[in-house]
Amino acid sequence: MDSIWTQPFFYFFLPAFFTLAVYSLLFKDNPWFKFAEHVFAGLSAGYYAGLIFTSVIKQQMFVPMLSSGRWDMLIPGALGCLLFVRFFPRIRWLTRIPLAFVIGTTAGIMFLQQLHGLILPQLQSTLLPLNDLSNIIIVVGVLTTLVYFYFSKPHTGALGGVAKAGMWFIMVAFGAHFGYTVMARVSLLIGRMQFLFVDWLHWAQ
Amino acid sequence: MADETPKSFLARIQNIDRRVLYALIFVSVIVPLFLPLKLPVPVTPETQNFFDAVEALPDSSIVMLPFDFWPSTLAETEPMAVVGLRHLFRKNCYVVGLSNVGMGGPTIADRLLDSIGGEFHKTYGVDYVNLGYKPDYRAVMLGMGTRISDIFPTDYRDTPLEELPLMRRVPNYDSVAFIFIVSDNVAVDYWVGLVNARFGIPMGAGVTAVMAPKSLSFVQANQLVGLLGGMKGCAEYENLLERPARAIRGMDSQSMIHLLIVVFIIMGNVGYFASKRRVPRS
Repeated sequence: MDSIWTQPFFYFFLPAFFTLAVYSLLFKDNPWFKFAEHVFAGLSAGYYAGLIFTSVIKQQMFVPMLSSGRWDMLIPGALGCLLFVRFFPRIRWLTRIPLAFVIGTTAGIMFLQQLHGLILPQLQSTLLPLNDLSNIIIVVGVLTTLVYFYFSKPHTGALGGVAKAGMWFIMVAFGAHFGYTVMARVSLLIGRMQFLFVDWLHWAQ
Repeated sequence: MADETPKSFLARIQNIDRRVLYALIFVSVIVPLFLPLKLPVPVTPETQNFFDAVEALPDSSIVMLPFDFWPSTLAETEPMAVVGLRHLFRKNCYVVGLSNVGMGGPTIADRLLDSIGGEFHKTYGVDYVNLGYKPDYRAVMLGMGTRISDIFPTDYRDTPLEELPLMRRVPNYDSVAFIFIVSDNVAVDYWVGLVNARFGIPMGAGVTAVMAPKSLSFVQANQLVGLLGGMKGCAEYENLLERPARAIRGMDSQSMIHLLIVVFIIMGNVGYFASKRRVPRS
């Protein structure tokens, strides 16, 4: 027998109801939209609380401690608890200890990711032989865009011309982003319509 | 007294009620659902390269598939995960699923792995696994390079990893032949910037159309073997796999709406410039 979560009511009717409630805002604001909005906010908060408790506090702290004797897990647990002492003015300063840990590790990881993983490979990929139209466009686009963001000298004369070319490259990039964004938003609408007319109502294929 | 001066056509097309535009868009989406136009979907090099890279994997390779997307983008990302899983299971690859998105990610991963795994008679724990979710994807991605069980002591179903036959063969990234990313957020930057850069694992990404222009730079820099950009990229992959599904069926509506938006933009611009010309210069 199907579980309650795979029965038509929870799998089709309820999502269809909330889809229509949200889309009703396109006509005008109304209580159905507000209801859907509040249910979503409440559900998200509850879902996250449950997920974090299970996947972090239970699976990564209590289970290793109680089943494998990993009592060292108390250290990160205590650091996590220290984040909440900011509500007590006299010992608020203790919050700085876990924050320093978080900021230090994040800065280290970000430095590695940005420099080693993004900037250097991207820079390397623009060092291209100028024997192909695509390569020429890439190299010219990168150089003129960098000039556009050079603000230590007024953009006049030759520098102004190059900066203007950079601005055109940026405009083309914005256009491409806009086109892709339209495509993305339209895809979401198509997905909902496929759900309503194909999965729920079975009116279309 | 109300102004009853008849408005010109040019003035009217600049002031169309937004609900009329919504209605036109709605019609453009649903008509192709009832009357498919079967418009062609030509394959771009980025999708072809992605498909070829997966096709070139030896049979029975171990592939990691991060379900890094929110439920709000399911229309674009779910078909990508489905087509990826179908391709991987068809090649008898072993799939390690996980999610760096807490809100719905691991649940969606579980549903899709079970459903597509079932199509190919695959067994949970032996042919595929869902590791679930852990917060802070930077720590997750780097930590899995040392030992996956340190980050995920148990899978999504609370089974210890050492009890899963597949995970006994996958202690860290050394056993992973390819990463098939499906993402709607910045996690793809970290897969590329941390995992590809440091561990050198080949990877391809299926991303939402909003992210496609930025992610294309990773393809150009050979950090990704290929890219599926939104519904269009997924439809191309479905074509290559010869398994038409949701994305291909959605492309007719996509094309209709794009045409409509082009018409809107032309009408708006014609109306704007024509009305500007009529205003006498002072």
